[in-house]
Amino acid sequence: MPPLRQPNLDTLTSVNADGSHHFLHPADVSGKYTLWRRVFGLALIAVYVLLPWIPVGGFPAVFLDLAQRRFHFFGLTFLSEDLWIGFFLLTGLGFSLFYVTALFGRLWCGWACPYTVFLEHVYRRIERLVDGDATKRRQLDAAPWTAHKIVKRTVKQGLYLLVSLLIAHVFVSYFVSLPRLYGYMRESPLNHLKVFGTMLFLTGSLHFCFAWFREQFCIILCPYGRIQSALTDDDTVNIGYDARRGEPRGKKSDPGAGDCVACNRCVQVCPTGIDIRNGLQLECIGCAACIDACDTVMTKLDRPKGLIRYDSPNGLAGGKRRYLRPRIVLYTGLMALGVAVLGLSLLGLSPAKAELIRMTGNPYYLDDSGVRNQYRLQLVNKRNEPAEFRLVLEGLPEGSAVTGLDETIVLQAGEETVKTLLVQVPKAAYRGEFSIHLKGLVTPGNTKLADAIEFLGPSAYALDRSR
Amino acid sequence: MKKQQPAEPEVAIREHVFDGIEEYDNKLPNWWLFTLYAAIVLFVGGWFVYYQTPFRIPDDEERIDREIAAIESKKKAELESMLASLSNESLQGMSADASHTAAGKAIFDAKCSACHGLDLSATMGGIQLPGLPLNDSEWKYGGAPLEIMKIVTDGSPDVTKGMVAWKAQLSPSEIAQVVAYILSQQPRT
Repeated sequence: MPPLRQPNLDTLTSVNADGSHHFLHPADVSGKYTLWRRVFGLALIAVYVLLPWIPVGGFPAVFLDLAQRRFHFFGLTFLSEDLWIGFFLLTGLGFSLFYVTALFGRLWCGWACPYTVFLEHVYRRIERLVDGDATKRRQLDAAPWTAHKIVKRTVKQGLYLLVSLLIAHVFVSYFVSLPRLYGYMRESPLNHLKVFGTMLFLTGSLHFCFAWFREQFCIILCPYGRIQSALTDDDTVNIGYDARRGEPRGKKSDPGAGDCVACNRCVQVCPTGIDIRNGLQLECIGCAACIDACDTVMTKLDRPKGLIRYDSPNGLAGGKRRYLRPRIVLYTGLMALGVAVLGLSLLGLSPAKAELIRMTGNPYYLDDSGVRNQYRLQLVNKRNEPAEFRLVLEGLPEGSAVTGLDETIVLQAGEETVKTLLVQVPKAAYRGEFSIHLKGLVTPGNTKLADAIEFLGPSAYALDRSR
Repeated sequence: MKKQQPAEPEVAIREHVFDGIEEYDNKLPNWWLFTLYAAIVLFVGGWFVYYQTPFRIPDDEERIDREIAAIESKKKAELESMLASLSNESLQGMSADASHTAAGKAIFDAKCSACHGLDLSATMGGIQLPGLPLNDSEWKYGGAPLEIMKIVTDGSPDVTKGMVAWKAQLSPSEIAQVVAYILSQQPRT
């Protein structure tokens, strides 16, 4: 069995000198942060799995219905034309990441990133269950391919595959809904190759990532990890080692030594294979395993906890830990602005739509009875319940006739319809082109609708002359 | 506890120095290099297959053209077989079949009623619509079922009129159903 590798700042622990992947086996750790991280992680997984099952307003709590181009979020339904709201979702997510990073570094990575959550709380637990602790796992890796090892590997990879399949199916259900997914699952995959292919691709990707790729993604691929140094400053609370207290490292009996007894526990438990005592590094995903490991040792030695702790570089250097600083004030202000605009945008989203479009063909018809325009009236009910539209046209001259506009129009949940509308203005009342204003009231909800369109015709002067 | 060897990193540094900045000479991860080589192979292979062999993945334009051509030829075949089987008599027969006239009415109401009126009178609420009335036994371009079918399919012979060729939007069988519906609405003589 190869000896444990001592991390350094010049090379990646998880990549061998020949470029091959050095598979890390972090040791077991227990403690306050590990416990809370597990509770939080399992809660996140529960949310992920349950959202498609919880109905809100007739649809799953989150249902991105790609086939119908309707997107349901907790009872709110967005149509593809409302997709611009997604701007707030994306920029909001990005900005929140900036905000949290400025305050707490890679808190997201260690606690909430789906990659970490699935890896730490699902796949690593399976590995621990099948292969045992870190030493046993390392021994098994080095062992020759005996029947014992083959069985263990088959069981482990089989469980990985099973879990990957489940996660992939849950993911797909966000886009096709559970009943339809269940229907698909009972039919031949050939009937819906796209969905089946997506599911297979996801399963394969998950399996590859969590069975083999693991920390390589966080260290080398993830862009968020790469821009850390631009997002944090000396007041950002990261996980750090208190060198002033710990150095020089030495035995407990040594009176000249600091608090660090060089037990190497913090290195053994690290999932990305770094030594936190070398300072903040790109590889650190802020998982706090080293804090728990060190605190356990410090408790045994009757020394105060927190040799490794959540603290800012300034705090670790003996200064004050500051949360409120110009950057945070600015970020908070911008965040409040963004949330306010999002709120206004959501309030402005109408649950119904009425639009007047000119009928193709001649712009107007002229005969003895007057000037005629034809329109198409498009009505959309975005709600998940029937809605009653009451529509009137305003701005028409005296004596005009409107045909095709019923007094009330009832649309079923999510229904769209197009009506043909005919507006006739008698010659005597015609005074040239004008605007027609469509006003509408939709119940329930008392949503007001408005649209306008031009009534086209000859110039009134020419019409008079021809008379 | 096993004693750890003090860290003795084998630091590989490239020879060049620019402005005091040195460069490590660590090997890239093999999987990373694999993605590079795979991209090169994919590029060369793709170039070879796309430009040097007859095997081509059609681009969007070709795909659309091909699909349109397929639809066109299918429509044409359907029209031909339809016309071969259709006659004035068979269309009259369809007009007595409620299933055909109901389908025809649905299409008529959606597509034709804007100009010809819901009741085929070319009026709506007493207002004259742009189309010609279809319920008055008067036919400007011939009232035989196949003649009506031709007008619906190819549009009015007078291009200044609004009647467009509906073959772009309706299949031959749908047109036949519309014609059957119109025939069913004719005044009985």
